[in-house]
Amino acid sequence: MGSTNIVHQLFLDPISSHAFNADQTQLVVSNSTPLTHIMQLGGDKKFSTKEVLEQHLERVTSVDWAPKTNRIVTCAGDRNAYVWNYQEQDGYWKPCLVLLRINRAATFVRWSPLEDRFAVGSGARLLSICYFDPEHNWWVSKHIKKPIRSTILCVDWHPSNHLVAIGSCDFKCRVFCSALKELGDKPQTSNWMPKLNKFGTLLAEFDTNNGWVHGVQFSPSGNQLAWVAHDSSVNVVNSANLTKVHTVLTSNLPYSCLLWMSESSFAAAGFNYCPDLYTVTADGVTFTAKMDVKKEKSGGGAAMSAMARFQKLDVQGQSETGGTTVDTTHENCITEIRALSRNPATGAVSKFSTSGKDGRLVIWNFDALSSSLGGLKI
Amino acid sequence: FFSFSRLFEDLTMAATLKPYLNAVRTTLEAAMCLENFYSQRVERHLKPEVEIRSSKEVLFAPLEICRNDREKVLIEGSINSLRMSIAIKQADEIEKILCHKFMRFMMMRAENFFILRRKPLEGYDISFLITNYHTEQMYKHKLIDFIMEFMTEIDKEISEMKLCLNGRGRVCAVEYLKMFN
Repeated sequence: MGSTNIVHQLFLDPISSHAFNADQTQLVVSNSTPLTHIMQLGGDKKFSTKEVLEQHLERVTSVDWAPKTNRIVTCAGDRNAYVWNYQEQDGYWKPCLVLLRINRAATFVRWSPLEDRFAVGSGARLLSICYFDPEHNWWVSKHIKKPIRSTILCVDWHPSNHLVAIGSCDFKCRVFCSALKELGDKPQTSNWMPKLNKFGTLLAEFDTNNGWVHGVQFSPSGNQLAWVAHDSSVNVVNSANLTKVHTVLTSNLPYSCLLWMSESSFAAAGFNYCPDLYTVTADGVTFTAKMDVKKEKSGGGAAMSAMARFQKLDVQGQSETGGTTVDTTHENCITEIRALSRNPATGAVSKFSTSGKDGRLVIWNFDALSSSLGGLKI
Repeated sequence: FFSFSRLFEDLTMAATLKPYLNAVRTTLEAAMCLENFYSQRVERHLKPEVEIRSSKEVLFAPLEICRNDREKVLIEGSINSLRMSIAIKQADEIEKILCHKFMRFMMMRAENFFILRRKPLEGYDISFLITNYHTEQMYKHKLIDFIMEFMTEIDKEISEMKLCLNGRGRVCAVEYLKMFN
């Protein structure tokens, strides 16, 4: 069975972040340089650089593309973030200033579901919620500081546009209210926010036992929250019962990102170089399958020919076949996992993409995978 | 006599070698999960947190893996860097001198080695400093293979050097004492 995944080797250095546009023909990618690349899918089904966005002075740590309003936001270690608007007439992306007012590196950025604001996590131990100020034509920010004690590693918005969840290096996952009266928000009460709170109120805090929280995401309906931490744990909580957190302590290397595939399953990926599928039921979370199904290597490599042995001795100074190899599609840690096509009714994902520190972008066809894994249902 | 006592020691020690190396390998695999991390203390700076040790929450508890009282490995990790220090078996004076000179030779060329630290930690003979830059540019599994091979080969190399040294010394002494025959 050949792999139905499409592998793009975009760079030789690590990809820190990527995001697709609305119809998945274009991609914004940041690697380990201060440049951001806009790549276009060409006729040969390969991505090539269309434009390079140069504004940052340090590594770009995170990018996000707002599909409906067609805006890109990038943030970097130089304490800045920029919003890029596409100039239709001249065909280039123009940066717009963002007043983040942080004094440490920005680590993560995400557009809100309605795309009228975005959240930036930073090493300054605060979260900036930024919205547009039409009077001065720039983006201004409001900070959420208490009680975050360390660098924020990941941020996610709730579908209602009024709540954010963050994961940080102080081993906690938190949910805050981010309703802005400046933008005329009228938040509703919900399980997450039983009574109306003002901006910056801490709604929930979850502890992870000494693991930095690398990835956090609300489920498509917003009722569940999942996060992955450096203690190799995978945690899910349902807003109906905020005291009961379902945790799975895996024996793999830690995950660094996750993506809800439907309301009852999610994929987590990270330092074991392969996305894993987890299913959520009322009783808890269970590991379902590894999603990197590679065909068996022929020969096994047990017997080396005499010629190969002498060559190895000559070139490497070794005579045995020792040494470990990786047999996953990614050869280094996976940094980001994004949904490419989400069914708007059920929230189910059929295609997703992962970017890794090996400079690869892999597009996974979940429908094909589930048939090869024996009728996996999400 | 010296070779017989060495052989005996090797036989009893062989049983401890495999679990020792396995423990070191699995610890390295876990500790080498590194990622880029900008400093929380100084803006626009990016430093190996294991060396700076200013933010306690991004550091791991140091782990010492001992084969016996003389051979041990200290692994200190953090979010973006890892420091591994090795204390090599030195049974007698000659081995101490050979080990010291050999390690010094390598540490003076630490730039070419990339992952080597110029000075070992107190109480150890050699230290490696691996940062997220190294895991980004090089394969993590190959880095671990390299370190494990280093650990297994270093004892052999020092024993070989000692044998050569003793051999040469014997030849010189025989030639010199021929004069008095």
